[in-house]
Amino acid sequence: MIPFNKYLKLTAVALIGLTLCAQGARTPQHIDIKQLSKTVEDVVVPLPNEIFGALNKLGAVNWKEHVRSDKGTNFTERPRIALLLGTVIADGFVAVQAEDAASVKEIGQRVLALAKGIGVGNSITPHAKAIIEAADKRNWEAVRQELDRTQNSVQQAMNEVHDEKLLTSVVTKHFSADGAELLHQPDLLSYFQTRLEAMPEFKLPIIREIEDALVQVKPLIDVGNARIPQESVRKINEITTRLGYGIVTRD
Amino acid sequence: MNAFVKTLLCTSSLLAALVVLQPAILASVDDAQSFALQAAEPYVKEGFQVREDYWGGDLGSGEKKAVRQQLFKGNEYWFWLGTEVDRAKVSVHIYDSDGKLAEETDGWEKGHFAAAHVIPKTTGSYFIIVSVEESPEERTHWALVYGFR
Repeated sequence: MIPFNKYLKLTAVALIGLTLCAQGARTPQHIDIKQLSKTVEDVVVPLPNEIFGALNKLGAVNWKEHVRSDKGTNFTERPRIALLLGTVIADGFVAVQAEDAASVKEIGQRVLALAKGIGVGNSITPHAKAIIEAADKRNWEAVRQELDRTQNSVQQAMNEVHDEKLLTSVVTKHFSADGAELLHQPDLLSYFQTRLEAMPEFKLPIIREIEDALVQVKPLIDVGNARIPQESVRKINEITTRLGYGIVTRD
Repeated sequence: MNAFVKTLLCTSSLLAALVVLQPAILASVDDAQSFALQAAEPYVKEGFQVREDYWGGDLGSGEKKAVRQQLFKGNEYWFWLGTEVDRAKVSVHIYDSDGKLAEETDGWEKGHFAAAHVIPKTTGSYFIIVSVEESPEERTHWALVYGFR
């Protein structure tokens, strides 16, 4: 004879088990991706914080050696300022990783000046102030969040080039298969290609250079389930470093 | 002339209706977002950083939508789906780029909330499939938010 409370427990366990099984059974284990093509949204561009989070888990990286001191040229053309702003925001993330308060504060000022240059100064001013204040307090988490918000506010000004450059320069210095895997972003690359082609500024030399670079990088990272070899990481780093230099300097 | 005035009036009414309709639609998706964020709340205490953006729209009963997302190996992600329609049942599931179910087993569905958890085995594109399983409404607004750590 099973005592009532034991019976109750067994019944509850069985019911929970059956509910979970039923839920598991309802969820298909496999779907046909091709059939989704009509209902699929554009790829979601990850936040820089997500990329740095994954990079951090690779082990200790000497972030200080990746902090860029070069401030870049003072452009007057909006597309060039916008591109430069993207790279400065990315520099901000690196400076935060390096916990370099002086560089972060300088970058906050630079972000504000560049944002004013493309006419989005008003929306960026609170972010820039918050970045500088949080850097003063060495509250790195708050700085990261403000940089994410800044990036959202000027998303049109962003491109992923610097992100690839940083990833490859970190991965080239400390090559590991896990590190190289973080470069596996072919859908994002295609997304940026489409966005660039739709831009009215597409004929500008620097935009064409970015497009050419994306074309060169694509076969190196679009390797399916295979691993990205060290040689490819080195090539991507070369391409994106050249491009990064092109973005911060005048033609 | 009469025809011209009539056309003008019709066009103006249509435009006015669209202008009024747009905030109404956005407001409903905003409501759905606040439910999705409500579902995310307990996870913030566990160290998940919830992204401030959201993805949303409206679906009929039995309809699905896919959101393609770049996920990084090493990170851990939760996706939360919400709708403001009380008696609706929604679901969210995560598949890898080959179409294989990639989520952990601790995802859940509670009426107008649902959540899915993934610890990516590889870096790459994943498909987040949102679905309105049942709803008393013809169209049900949904909003998807995600967090990572």
